[in-house]
Amino acid sequence: MLGFRQIQRANFWTTALIIFVMMLTFLNLIAVSGILVGLIVGSERAVQEKSLGDIVITPLENEEQILQTETIRRILDTLPEVTSYSIRYQEGMQVTANYKTRRDFNIEPNTIGSQAVGIDPIAENNVTGLSENVVEGEYLNPDESGYILIGALNLDRYTAGFADITGSLTDVYPGDSVRATINGASREFIVKGVVDAKAGGVASFIYLPEKELRRLSNSASRDADEIAIRLADKSPETALVVKSVLVEQGIDSFARVRTFQEALPKFITDIKQTFNILGTFIGAVGIIVASITIFIIIFINAISRRQQIGILKGIGIDRRAIEVAYVLQSAFYALTGSLLGALVTYGILIGYFDRNPIDFPFSDGILVAEPIGTLYRFIILFIITLFAGFIPAWMIVKQNTLNSILGRK
Amino acid sequence: MPIIKAHNLHRKFGKDDLVTHVLKGIDFEVEQGEFVAIMGKSGAGKSTLMYQLSVLDEPTEGTVNIDGTEVVNLSESDRTKFRLHTLGYVFQDYALVPDLSAEENVMIPLLMRGLRWDTAKQQARESIDEVGMAGKYLNLPSELSGGEQQRVAIARAVAGKPKILFADEPTANLDSISGTQVIDLIAKLNQEDKQTVVMVTHEREYAMGCDRIFQMEDGLVVNIEKLR
Repeated sequence: MLGFRQIQRANFWTTALIIFVMMLTFLNLIAVSGILVGLIVGSERAVQEKSLGDIVITPLENEEQILQTETIRRILDTLPEVTSYSIRYQEGMQVTANYKTRRDFNIEPNTIGSQAVGIDPIAENNVTGLSENVVEGEYLNPDESGYILIGALNLDRYTAGFADITGSLTDVYPGDSVRATINGASREFIVKGVVDAKAGGVASFIYLPEKELRRLSNSASRDADEIAIRLADKSPETALVVKSVLVEQGIDSFARVRTFQEALPKFITDIKQTFNILGTFIGAVGIIVASITIFIIIFINAISRRQQIGILKGIGIDRRAIEVAYVLQSAFYALTGSLLGALVTYGILIGYFDRNPIDFPFSDGILVAEPIGTLYRFIILFIITLFAGFIPAWMIVKQNTLNSILGRK
Repeated sequence: MPIIKAHNLHRKFGKDDLVTHVLKGIDFEVEQGEFVAIMGKSGAGKSTLMYQLSVLDEPTEGTVNIDGTEVVNLSESDRTKFRLHTLGYVFQDYALVPDLSAEENVMIPLLMRGLRWDTAKQQARESIDEVGMAGKYLNLPSELSGGEQQRVAIARAVAGKPKILFADEPTANLDSISGTQVIDLIAKLNQEDKQTVVMVTHEREYAMGCDRIFQMEDGLVVNIEKLR
């Protein structure tokens, strides 16, 4: 009753301020680590959607190409879970831009070495939506030949000077001609468009139809370097099920089959864990600040009622009952603040960041807040808040009863 | 047998050379149903004596027996329980919990005694009625006058039917009319319910309704005046 009435009859604005502080603490705890992790999850999601697909097939460890690519294609055609797939061929390619205008051979040629990816433009677009990543010019038309797409990271104006090591092409725009060379064989292509995306190597490759790549590299083999598969259901569980079906069909004898999550580079999962720890650390600082806030609030509240507490003890009220009253106050602040924080997180922030990801240089950051993780953090916040409320109450309540009544030190 | 029996009570404050000897060996007895007043000038030791008798403080030396219980060496927890079940208090500044209504203030010690909510509420209302505050059950202390607050404090003190009611200058913060009403109320409780009352006051007119007056001076009872 004491605790309840203290909350009920406290100054509204004071209570609102305390709850607001608790809500911010909760958000700090959830949102900071959530955004840090979301940075990586956003990157993962982009890689899944724009590069690897839901399942990726790559060559076996000791092979250079995926064996029996045509067999695999036929198997994929029979699986209802597979909505599309893109068979990719890759070759190292040298691209020269100023070969027509270069008069002085003492000047450095405008040349880069890059990775060319031969694709079926329609299939690739179905899997990764590559056409949506065209930031200049147009996407490849399957009926045309002699055109390529250049990844933005191959162009000087997109790399802002940091491509000194790999090199970059200057003054190359859609419609310009470039010379592509593979293993000594060269051919002229027209740049149809420029591709840019914050995912994997999407922006660092050069795309052209697979037939033209194989023709230029003089390769008769139909064995591919990578097959990206898109499923109707993008969940990791479904990916595992489909992977096991592919393995049952014997594909693992020809190639390595991995779900998107299995194919993620280890450094990404390491960074994710690191960010999680970092977020937890920042959240812990937030908890300490909130604990001190609660401590001070309860301490001031209790010290200003020291005489009243003394009188309550004097008339026989057990000190535990008085302490519980203050702990209940703290619990109320923690519960209400956390509840509001959870409402803001799940009701507003997650949806908002999904629709409007934060534009980080290498990823579109979203907010990740797993309910179970949120629950753990809430429990920690709640327990610490209870202690923060209990300790000052205990300090005041344990004082000599008569001294408290008389206001003596 | 006396309900309060104190023997050779000493109370010293401070340490070493700065010791103040406030009570200097007091013997004190109160019979069941008696209404006694402790009087004296400021610094005579009357409040300090009452704190020893009412188990709010521990004497430096001496014994206090209340209703057959030696209270001096009780643990803090047992002293709290003893006060809850045996004693009632009225303080000079009313000492009501500002967040609780009159009714809830009276209910608190009853609930602590283990009474159920409904029973405590009913008993609290009866006690408030008894002090002439019927209809003001839900008023907060801030909505009551000083005299009314002191009546609620008396209702809280006697609601649990304590063996002894201690009143520490209950009229100190009241005007003379309210002061008289409060003293009349305490006297009525003593006469009608045979409530044992020990009251500290420095105003003689308020002590005139008592059975005996203990006059204190410099830490000693120098005179016991029997009025009835």
